[in-house]
Amino acid sequence: MSHKPTITDNLTFPADSKLPQILFGVGAVGIILSVIGYFVNHDQFFFSYLVSFTFFTGIALASVFMVMFHHITKSKWGTLVRRIPETFGANIWIWAIFIIPVILGMHNLYHWSHEEAVATDKILKAKSAFLNPTFFIIRQVIYFALWGFVGRKLYKASVELEKTGDWGVTTLMRKVSAPAIPLFALSIAFAGFDWLMSLDPHWFSTMFGVYFFAISFQSFWAVMILMVFFLHQKGLLTNTIGQPHIYDLGAWLFAFTIFYAYIAFSQFLLIYYANLPEETLWFYDRLEGGFQYIAYGLLIFRFAFPFLVLLNRERKHQKKVLMLVATVVLVIHYLEIYWIVMPAMHSEDAHGLDFSWIDITTFLGLGGIFFGLFFNTFKKNSMIPENDPKLEECLEKTYHQ
Amino acid sequence: MSKYEYIPEPALVKGNHDFASLTKLVTDVNLRPTPKPWYAAMLLANAFLGVFLIAVGYLIWEGTGVWGLMNPVGWGWAIINFVWWVGIGHAGTLISAILFLFRQDWRTAINRFAEAMTIFAVICALMFPGIHVGRIWVIYWVFPIPNQMGMWPNFNSPLLWDVFAVSTYFTVSLLFWYVGLIPDLATLRDKATDKIRKFSYGLFALGWTGSNRAWWNYEKAYMILAGLATPLVLSVHTIVSFDFAVSMIPGWHTTIFPPYFVAGAIFSGFAMVLTLMIVARKIYGMEDIMTNDHMEKMNIIIMVTGSMVGFAYMMEFFIAWYSGVEYEKAIFILRATGPYAWAYWIMMTCNVLSPQFFWFKKLRTSVGFTFFISIVVNIGMWFERFVITVTSLANDYLPSSWDYYSPTIWDVLTYVGTFGIFFTLFLAFLRFLPMVAIAEIKAVLPQADPHNYDEETQEFHPHVVEVPQPKAETV
Repeated sequence: MSHKPTITDNLTFPADSKLPQILFGVGAVGIILSVIGYFVNHDQFFFSYLVSFTFFTGIALASVFMVMFHHITKSKWGTLVRRIPETFGANIWIWAIFIIPVILGMHNLYHWSHEEAVATDKILKAKSAFLNPTFFIIRQVIYFALWGFVGRKLYKASVELEKTGDWGVTTLMRKVSAPAIPLFALSIAFAGFDWLMSLDPHWFSTMFGVYFFAISFQSFWAVMILMVFFLHQKGLLTNTIGQPHIYDLGAWLFAFTIFYAYIAFSQFLLIYYANLPEETLWFYDRLEGGFQYIAYGLLIFRFAFPFLVLLNRERKHQKKVLMLVATVVLVIHYLEIYWIVMPAMHSEDAHGLDFSWIDITTFLGLGGIFFGLFFNTFKKNSMIPENDPKLEECLEKTYHQ
Repeated sequence: MSKYEYIPEPALVKGNHDFASLTKLVTDVNLRPTPKPWYAAMLLANAFLGVFLIAVGYLIWEGTGVWGLMNPVGWGWAIINFVWWVGIGHAGTLISAILFLFRQDWRTAINRFAEAMTIFAVICALMFPGIHVGRIWVIYWVFPIPNQMGMWPNFNSPLLWDVFAVSTYFTVSLLFWYVGLIPDLATLRDKATDKIRKFSYGLFALGWTGSNRAWWNYEKAYMILAGLATPLVLSVHTIVSFDFAVSMIPGWHTTIFPPYFVAGAIFSGFAMVLTLMIVARKIYGMEDIMTNDHMEKMNIIIMVTGSMVGFAYMMEFFIAWYSGVEYEKAIFILRATGPYAWAYWIMMTCNVLSPQFFWFKKLRTSVGFTFFISIVVNIGMWFERFVITVTSLANDYLPSSWDYYSPTIWDVLTYVGTFGIFFTLFLAFLRFLPMVAIAEIKAVLPQADPHNYDEETQEFHPHVVEVPQPKAETV
């Protein structure tokens, strides 16, 4: 057939790019400043750190989830951009070291880790089989071993497919993904319980695992969109990743905006409606002391704004619109995690919403390392999974009015 | 050589079909004389329908006391059956709307069929809220109709939201189904030889000509309806879950209910589509269209949604323990070990265990096994609603008021009777309407892809995927 699409772009990220070094530099400065922050205010450091850590880890986890779904459904829409989430997943095993500060700061972060507090608290005593420091550490090791292994394995398989052109590797990808999906579902849910829900150890919600998944996934699409436009900005893949592929990312962001709203609102409504004190207290703490502004912001900027803007089909592929929406979603994603985490810190002194410079340094520190690792791996191989059986169909996609 | 075997995409339509042979295969069912076994089946379905009418007649005559409802179990089989049928009614619109938005071409083989099932299942479901009030002559009070008494339904109640959600879902599903039918009705109109068929198919084909302009409008309308139907698929069972979850009853009030109910609904709906599909394709010889590959894909969806339901059960159990709330803990232990433990373990076996067999390719491609599991799944989903509704009510906060709930013969007959409604409608559908979306299935044939034509000679060459020889490992 004469229709074979040809790729005219250079497919590797410029090897001489200093971007990873710059990002690592930013990360190092951020971490050094954060360490200073630790000596200034222990509590603030650990809580700020947890917010940023959850922010970036959630994006990496959503990446691996997306890659697994892509394999298992034999999708073709995202083959061109699949290398980006694969690369995020490839580095989780290194990223695992950043759980260590959370473990070290357990006493500052988690009320349940104080034995004397548990001893006098009937409810905490009853959950101590789950909420205790030893089991907490064991769980973190299990999570990161699983995530690191699967992320690395899928990245390696994709590179092998690219280098050897062996289509049989797609079978391997599916064989890894299928059992890993339920394991990821459970581990992400329990990571949400561990890192975020147990900050208020009396509070509980069966939806919380799904909620953590939903916020991470919505922000993941925003990262994807910004990443593709960043590559275009650098003059990379401009003729390869086109309008139909960007449209798909926009549509995903739209879909997960609705999914997020559905999950978050269902959780809120059911707790609000039954009005049981042990459940409503969590929202009560987050609707006062300045935190209510973030809560209203979630409604507007995390749901209403992206929903209304992206409802129109044409806007789902417009660069300026998508970049604006994606940025807003990422900002509000940070604030949502902040809104989940910080009221737990201020539960005793109750001085409400109080941003600290350590919030910024931990974010820059972890963000610099996270994206430094990304670009460091990204430039090693092709930016798209070459030789993938679905690549041709993905390149052929056209956008219909 | 590769360590692993590459599995190419299977063709969506098996056999050596072209456009004409597909049209003939599907429309012949509607145009040929009625086969005798169809009358026999219809008679049987009508007998069950008669049972339903008698059961409902007696209910209206005597009042809701004929059911097994008692104190403290004020909700019994009626709500269980309602939720069960509504759940089944999720697959059709999911297949036709959500899978359409996801560009899943395999949906074309089963979408018409599944949508019909959806509509009939929702009709069966709607029977129960329709008949469950003691004074049936004022059933219109469920709607917010202005009246001289200044009396309104309770807008704070999810039961009212249910009225809106289910009736909207029914309306949109029906419209969506009808819009999809229009081109095929025109095909039937053009194929029909007798006056009655020509007129009646022609009437509902709305003067369809198949022109470019008609298709353009049609595709726009179809897209918009798919977009509208998608949130409805999710909202209906979400609201149904609210019926339980907004309360304070232990075992009902849990935040994961909305997505968990939706997953369960898709689970049972796909099972029902499979049950019907496996029988219908055999009788009508549609194995080339509704292939074993379709069955395998649906089995995977059953496995995924079944596991999601299992995930939700685990979360409920874990959080019941984690919450430290005595009543939550007690109800979950009572479910597994109390007076209804038999129902609980049926539910667990059918819903969580049975779909896990589909991890094995051999089992998910086996027709007999799939048929068996598809029925098991729907038994399990009925028991899920039974466990949720009855156990939480029978063992409430006050142990002194605990009691054991049993249905009466009238509960059973009403439920069995709904199968009469369902199959009467379904058999009529199979006889008079095309059970496969003819126009849509043609679009997924290789002949419909312009890439498969040589531009100069206008000759058709089916697309052949060449699996490349792997290079030596260079990583």
